[in-house]
Amino acid sequence: MKLPALSKTYAGRKVLDLPELTLTDGAVHAVIGANGCGKSTFARILAGVIPADAGKLPPLGAGYMPQRSYPFHMKVLRSLRLTGAGREAARAQLEAFGLIHLEKQSAGRLSGGETARLALARLLLRDYPLLILDEPTAAMDVTATLLAEERILEYRSRTGCTVVLVTHSLTQARRMADEVLFLREGRLEERGSAREVLSHPRSPETRAFLDFYTL
Amino acid sequence: MQTALREAVALLLSGDRQLGIILATTLRMVLASSLLALVLGGPLGVLLGGYSGRWKGVLVVLNRTLMGLPPVVVGLICYMLFSGVGPLRHLRLLYTVRGMVIAQVVLLTPLIAGSLESHVSSVAPDIRETALGLGLSRGRTLLLLLGESQYQLLSAYLLGLGRAFAEVGAVSMVGGAIAYKTNVMTTAIMNYTNMGSFTTALALGIILLGVSLVLNAGVALLHGRLKR
Repeated sequence: MKLPALSKTYAGRKVLDLPELTLTDGAVHAVIGANGCGKSTFARILAGVIPADAGKLPPLGAGYMPQRSYPFHMKVLRSLRLTGAGREAARAQLEAFGLIHLEKQSAGRLSGGETARLALARLLLRDYPLLILDEPTAAMDVTATLLAEERILEYRSRTGCTVVLVTHSLTQARRMADEVLFLREGRLEERGSAREVLSHPRSPETRAFLDFYTL
Repeated sequence: MQTALREAVALLLSGDRQLGIILATTLRMVLASSLLALVLGGPLGVLLGGYSGRWKGVLVVLNRTLMGLPPVVVGLICYMLFSGVGPLRHLRLLYTVRGMVIAQVVLLTPLIAGSLESHVSSVAPDIRETALGLGLSRGRTLLLLLGESQYQLLSAYLLGLGRAFAEVGAVSMVGGAIAYKTNVMTTAIMNYTNMGSFTTALALGIILLGVSLVLNAGVALLHGRLKR
């Protein structure tokens, strides 16, 4: 999947300035970097939430989980069926995400971690060629995080979709990613296979970031 | 105060025909105008809150200005439109309950739209982003936005209802406070005060408060159910 060079400026500050990129079909791309480096802006541009100042994206038909998924104030099962899924498919998905006991509860009353699990479960009910996940497990505990990662990888294997995973967790990037994109101050500092970037980074900035976050 | 309370109870129990008509006219006008304003102001507030284009600031300021419209100005404009020399004279709305309802709707619609707009503005970005991520259509997203605002919609309605009950300036100008026809509680209170019948005016005030309390309690009950 080819992406044009993308840039975005907010209030005179260039928050994203990326060169042309090719996403490897069917691969999980972890986007890492410090706060404010442009990870979420990149995800939101890819998802079509905000336009890039330069670089026009074709419609990608992507499925996208924002950092703050809105917990619709309706029963959990009904919330899943917003995607058009049938009752049984929705129940099976709740089962797969360990949420079946909450099916009749109002989604607005779930905890942050449960809300994130519900949002992911709902998103993965449909098939997309590109899946964009902006810190999907940030609010989840360890067990829920591992379960969510497993479901994302299963989904990727089943649909063959390309995944863009914005994450703050280097361990998650190690567990899930085929490729890693390290952003720094809106620019692509380094890109390569997960093993290369996370274990043997070329750039001193990437090394400094990794050293700091693995302290 | 005690005398007024006693008179209010006595008036209610007496089955006074004039009071019955005043009460019925008030309820007719208040319910019709507040519901109509809800039908107009509800979607308007959702649309305004959900809109993120460059004219949003101008539209919000415009609506907020309309929220502060003095009732007597609305009354005056409606009077000029409906009177014998006005462009809408053929509709024969002057000194009718329908004319009063129109004046009330003009006052209440921006109020309901504005109170809903601020809520929708705060949740719309997250709802829109989540819906877009799921590939939902714009129409579906708007319906979701409306559904997510039902609690605030009712709050906005309560606000409109309270204002409709309390309104006197516009309705007295457009309705003329004609006995047995367009006299409502507030204008009747004004008339009795002008005649020096303070106790009766106060008694009517107490009844007005009572009716408003019952209606508000009913809506608040529904409010509570929606919240659950």
